[in-house]
Amino acid sequence: MAESFAVDVQGVQKKFGSLQALDGVTLRVRSGEIYGLLGPNGAGKTTLIRSIVGLVAPDAGTVSVLGLRMPNVENLRNVGYMTQQAALYPGLSVEENVQFFAAVNGAESGVTDALKLVELDQRRKSVVTTLSGGMRQRCSLACAIVHRPKLLLLDEPTVGLDPQLRVRFWDSFREMADGGTTIVVSSHVMDEAERCQRLGLVQYGKLLAEGSPDEIRSLAGTNNLEEAFLRLAGTGAES
Amino acid sequence: MSGHRIGAITRRLLQQFRRDRRTLALLFVAPIVILALLGYMIRGSSSTPSVGIANEDQGPLGATLASALERSSLISASTIQASEGDSRLKDGSLVAYIVFPADFSQRAQSGTIAPEVHLEGSQPGTSVPVLQALQQAFASSGPAAAVHFQPQIQYLYGGQGLDRLDYFGAAFIGLIVFFLVFVITIVAFLNERSQGTLERLMASPLRRGEIVIGYMIGFTVLALVQSAEVLLFALAVLKVYNQGNVILIFGLEALMALAAVNLGIFLSMFARTEFQAVQFIPLVVVPQFLLSGILFPVSTEPKPLQVISDVLPLTYAVNGLRDVMIKGADLTWSSLQLDAGVVAAYCVLLIVAGVATLRRRIA
Repeated sequence: MAESFAVDVQGVQKKFGSLQALDGVTLRVRSGEIYGLLGPNGAGKTTLIRSIVGLVAPDAGTVSVLGLRMPNVENLRNVGYMTQQAALYPGLSVEENVQFFAAVNGAESGVTDALKLVELDQRRKSVVTTLSGGMRQRCSLACAIVHRPKLLLLDEPTVGLDPQLRVRFWDSFREMADGGTTIVVSSHVMDEAERCQRLGLVQYGKLLAEGSPDEIRSLAGTNNLEEAFLRLAGTGAES
Repeated sequence: MSGHRIGAITRRLLQQFRRDRRTLALLFVAPIVILALLGYMIRGSSSTPSVGIANEDQGPLGATLASALERSSLISASTIQASEGDSRLKDGSLVAYIVFPADFSQRAQSGTIAPEVHLEGSQPGTSVPVLQALQQAFASSGPAAAVHFQPQIQYLYGGQGLDRLDYFGAAFIGLIVFFLVFVITIVAFLNERSQGTLERLMASPLRRGEIVIGYMIGFTVLALVQSAEVLLFALAVLKVYNQGNVILIFGLEALMALAAVNLGIFLSMFARTEFQAVQFIPLVVVPQFLLSGILFPVSTEPKPLQVISDVLPLTYAVNGLRDVMIKGADLTWSSLQLDAGVVAAYCVLLIVAGVATLRRRIA
């Protein structure tokens, strides 16, 4: 039944010109889990996330989010989306940015909590142009979670972050997942993959393998996740 | 200085342009289009001012002058009744009419020749060919040199005190607001796209109409403050001639600002970069500037261009502003109702077009 899955992607195809960005992807994300989309740059992770949120219209296949077929504008109230680029209003302060996205989603009350979670409440009055790259990423995350979404889609949220900040990000994700939020996070960093409950390996627009990190390792017959990915990716390329 | 390094910069610049076909097209096509338009407007215009002649003279002189005027190449003269003259000036079918009064020949014999010249007056420059034609007619067929030529000139609107600023000021008040608001909106909306925040908004429960209307209200607030400032400066500092209601002028400016905001939002959908957005300025603003009657009255344009002028919103806005400021028009005037109505209709059309072209899906 679709309702038990936060995300249900069935046979999604998407072509940009001659490039097959998604080639029959089928995956299901269970409610409350952290699901990692793993794959090299250009594998189709961003297109897949965009098709989940309704920004990309699939050529074939269906996407359901929280039990409802997408695109569904009302359902986006339950979805948080953090783009790869820290998409913020540079002339506004941290707080004003978060307040804006809170208002857009009809949830003004969550601003302080969101800023605390990303540890930016001390810099709430700072204008975005004065922030470091890492702070901008944190502000961008706060904008994505301020309305306490049931499903959080994070497109390479830790790119360009230092190791400490990356750990803090993942602690926040863990905290939100413990609170019942389903998280889909894309990454090409293998140590992050270990932190996910389940993984989907994406390459050339296809889902090559799916399972917990342990399952992926045993499927590839290795103890190393990076090695497993390379082996499975090799198989996918040959097929 | 290294020629090699300078060459690298120059080469890189030209390489960028090579991939930006739109910019290249603008660079080489736009100047030809604009110059051709200007040339056609000025050289292609064949119309001469329409002047009515009312001959009430009981003597022979009026008829002689009237037929001389009808042959004049400076004006296109037609016979009218003196009583219908003012209404013909008001409806715009004449720019002037000349009356030879009943005692015209009689007064000429006593040494004064005094035709009544009634000018519409809201367009400086149009009186020149009329008076020239009259003087030529007088010189070619007039009586002895001892007679004084003293035309009695009356203005329906404005008057001799009206200078170029009074005439252009009324139009420029609207043009400045339209132009600046358009540029700010198109760039701001494009920023929303390029900085990725539009993608975020599209992944939120926001409706497309809510985005467009929210933008419209925000920029309109700014535009109204700007309109008030422009109007205050024009009236209080530059002392631009004004016969109309200031609130009405402000209302027309506000309508123009609304149209400009929505045009900016709509056209931003067709630009991928700010660079491309800026290119819409000459394409959108220059033809409107030339064709909306700001510089040359629409009635003197070649006929095919008049057709274009008649569908441009700025034509109606400029006409409305001039009617209010120079002629003292109010909302009971049907011409002003038409002008305001057309600009308002454009606003609605552009809102609908903006909402329709704003795509939730980026692919």
